[in-house]
Amino acid sequence: MDRPDIQPPKWALRLLRWYCKPRALEIIEGDIYELFEKRLQTQNPGAARRMFGWDVLRFFRLRYIKGISDLNSINNIAMFKNYFKVSLRSLLKHKFYSFINIAGLSLGLAACLMITMYVSNELSYDSFHKDADRIYRMANGQNGNWTPPRLGIQAKMDFPEIEEIVRLQGPYSQTFNVNGKVFREARGFNADSTFHKVFTIEFIEGNPDEALKEPYSVVLTQSIAEKYFPNESAYGQLVKLDGVTKKITGVIADPPTNTHFYYDFINSYPNETWVTVGNWTGNNFFTYAKLAKGTSLEGLEAKFPEFRRRYAGKDMLANSEYADYDELLAARSSPPTYSLKPMQDLHLHYPRFALGSNGSIDNVYTFSAVAVFILLIACINFMNLSTARSAARSKEVGMRKVLGSQRKNLISQFLIESMIVSVVAMILAMGLAHLFLGGFNQLANRTFTAADLFAPTTLLYLVVLVLIVGLLAGSYPAFYLSGFKPIKALKGEVKSGSGNAFLRKGLVTFQFAISIFLIISTAVVFTQLRFMSNQKLGFDAEQVLVVKKVSRLKQKLVSFKNTVLANPNITEVATSDRYLSGFISNYGYLTVEENPRNTSLMNIFASGNYQKALNLEIKEGRFFSPELVSDSLNVIINEATAKWLGWDEVIGRKVSRGPGAEFTIIGVVKDFHYTSLKRSIEPLILRNVSSTGWINENMDWWGANYASIKVTGDFQGAVAHVQQAWERAVPDEPFDYTFLDDSFAQLYDEEKRFGNLFTASSGLAILIACLGLFALAAFTLERRFKEIAVRKVLGASVGSLTMLIITDFTKLVLLGAVIAIPAGYFVMSDWLGDFAYQMNIGAFVLVIPALVVAVIAWLTVGYQSAKTALGNPVKALRSE
Amino acid sequence: MHRVNLGEFEELVLLVAAILHDNAYGISVMEEIEVQTERKINISAVHSALDRLENKGFLKSHVGGATKERGGRRKRFFTVTVAGKGALDFIHQQRNDLYNQIKPADLGLNSYGPTRYSAT
Repeated sequence: MDRPDIQPPKWALRLLRWYCKPRALEIIEGDIYELFEKRLQTQNPGAARRMFGWDVLRFFRLRYIKGISDLNSINNIAMFKNYFKVSLRSLLKHKFYSFINIAGLSLGLAACLMITMYVSNELSYDSFHKDADRIYRMANGQNGNWTPPRLGIQAKMDFPEIEEIVRLQGPYSQTFNVNGKVFREARGFNADSTFHKVFTIEFIEGNPDEALKEPYSVVLTQSIAEKYFPNESAYGQLVKLDGVTKKITGVIADPPTNTHFYYDFINSYPNETWVTVGNWTGNNFFTYAKLAKGTSLEGLEAKFPEFRRRYAGKDMLANSEYADYDELLAARSSPPTYSLKPMQDLHLHYPRFALGSNGSIDNVYTFSAVAVFILLIACINFMNLSTARSAARSKEVGMRKVLGSQRKNLISQFLIESMIVSVVAMILAMGLAHLFLGGFNQLANRTFTAADLFAPTTLLYLVVLVLIVGLLAGSYPAFYLSGFKPIKALKGEVKSGSGNAFLRKGLVTFQFAISIFLIISTAVVFTQLRFMSNQKLGFDAEQVLVVKKVSRLKQKLVSFKNTVLANPNITEVATSDRYLSGFISNYGYLTVEENPRNTSLMNIFASGNYQKALNLEIKEGRFFSPELVSDSLNVIINEATAKWLGWDEVIGRKVSRGPGAEFTIIGVVKDFHYTSLKRSIEPLILRNVSSTGWINENMDWWGANYASIKVTGDFQGAVAHVQQAWERAVPDEPFDYTFLDDSFAQLYDEEKRFGNLFTASSGLAILIACLGLFALAAFTLERRFKEIAVRKVLGASVGSLTMLIITDFTKLVLLGAVIAIPAGYFVMSDWLGDFAYQMNIGAFVLVIPALVVAVIAWLTVGYQSAKTALGNPVKALRSE
Repeated sequence: MHRVNLGEFEELVLLVAAILHDNAYGISVMEEIEVQTERKINISAVHSALDRLENKGFLKSHVGGATKERGGRRKRFFTVTVAGKGALDFIHQQRNDLYNQIKPADLGLNSYGPTRYSAT
């Protein structure tokens, strides 16, 4: 060899050796090597090396590629078959343990499957919009939901960063009259004609650019259109919406359900000044902006304080005590501005901004935590039972090792076993999840279907989850069991050693801790709910019927009231612009004094008999008189307002809403809850709406939107009577009503669901933990069978023997309680922090859950202990 | 023998293996073909042809001793079996028979030239 230093490329040799059949390898390698040597004589080394590589690639033919038969793992496959067979036999032999393992795991996995589906759905909200990451909601300040009418248009003109804007209002519940048939739709929005440029929307009929341009246009979703016009095209038809004739200018595809505003129909805006001009302090619109690509959010937001000063400054000063804008700035901790919230965050992170979707990142976290907890408990069962049974499997392990099994083979054997259990559990879990989907939908307040449950992505998550669980649950037993010394294992000297028992006890303690924690949470949620419903509201919510949409009555209001009052069981018909427990807006007011102060007060317009209908308590002065017409400039405040005003004598003093709008305080009512007890009672002002329903004498401001009807005696009959009266007065508007006490109870629906979630999850946790405990106790007793027999022979009583076993487990429960109680206390105190009126977390709600778990554990273990202790000791001992 | 199942390249390889007699292995067959036919071929094609011929029973092989220039790797030598010899004979006979039936005029070589060019 002339140039021994020149070698063929390494990668090529390696590749050849990797793919080539061993049978042909030497000859092929030799031939191309020889060619390489020959080429070195005539060509340059680089070319020779390249040719060598090329030859290797050319040999990459089916004929020379290793097949299954060439893998030396043909033997492994046989071993895998053997592992599989042995695993199945072992599972079938110990049916009881297998059942508990699989049952626990499948319950856990079913819970996880549903929760995974829920979480991935929550996280997907609004992602279907094209350029979803560039769409933002404009907020008034940092937290103001509503924005002025000209904000969007002006911002688009001033800032090139803003590509497009759209204003929305809603969701509105409106009544359609289609050729005499009446339908009520709850999810309607008003929107600008740029709606389709910001949001992704699919027009089936109609021109997207024109659909919302003209006033009195309405766009329907396909399902609504098909409902109204089953056999014809809805496009171009006329419908009456809340009495106003509108033209259907488009039919659009139903939006996906994972959106923060689900719409059934979209109205165009009328060409009126409140839409086109408005003022900068009248906030009536939700504004969305689509930013240009590559816009810096911080950069744009930094320009907003100046923008607000330029356009809104004048209007802001008009109704304030400040002389100029700088004085206003000086009084605020940060300058008034606008801000941008990413649209995709609205559903979970800014639920206040979401228009109808009820998401909460806390719910996502809670659900995820519950899923992890339950799965952990199920995994712990698996690990505990496997290690507990290790002694029984030790001979098998010893024998396998003697016959040449290496540790890694044994590990894979036990992992395969745990995988089999997981996969069987997975199949069962899918069935269980399908079964419990309805219940889960109630807990999560969603409408998932089987199709969502078995969607490819959800199933993919499930498979990944099963692999993780199989590995997690199987790894400890696998590493532990495979570590046995063969001789000791065969001699039977392997016992569940103390370290092993310690771990097992630790895991059981952990299970108890989780169970106790979940029960404490359940107890706190329900005690708080009970606490809130037992609180005095400050007025009588019972036997009060609230009729909605009274604004449709207008001049028929008085006659309607008279018809209703004809029923002897109906004592009062009071009207108001808002109803208690519903949404109440706040208005800005100024005090009338030397240095006027500015505040916002919860504002309700109420008729003179409102106080009687709801039995509000008067603390000072008087309520509006039903007869006096002059009360339109008089107001009544609650104690919280009186306290804020801080005047010694409030009766006769004045507050104003700007020049020419001064109101005299004529009475103070005791504080009453007008909304959920999550919120404290804020300053509130009551203004008068006349018995004819108008707020002002010009009769262009209607204030009677709701009628609160006080009933004594026969409630059902009274409701039927009111309904009749309504149907006679406005036949084209469905009778819509609620009961005031129910309406208040509904404010806590979210908390109830939360409580139910904890009930379900703690029930599940306890169930799975008990399954494990039951099996573990059975196993322990099996091992101590002889010990118990000997004790019994020596005179121990059944009671003391049962206690012996129970005491062991009781210690674990106690330890679990020691961990769970502080954790529960801190987590639930945090949860209670959201409520203005909180229960005290007493010892009761902390200790009772621990006791409950202890009793359940005693029952689980005690039954078996007693059975063993009652047994005849001869049976246990005679074989020795 | 009704039909001999041999591809064109296989036939070539079988012939060359017969020529090389007891020195027929991958490289020598490849070089011989290159020299005799001036065809450029890849060693992998030769290998797979040799393998196929062995599977068909026209060649048999044995592994020879190690040689220096291959870094100690052994060679697989191929020799033509009786069946292989029979196949070669059969093909040769068949080709010759067919060839001999050609009348010189049937080739019609001269009649083509002028017509083809006159067309343009």
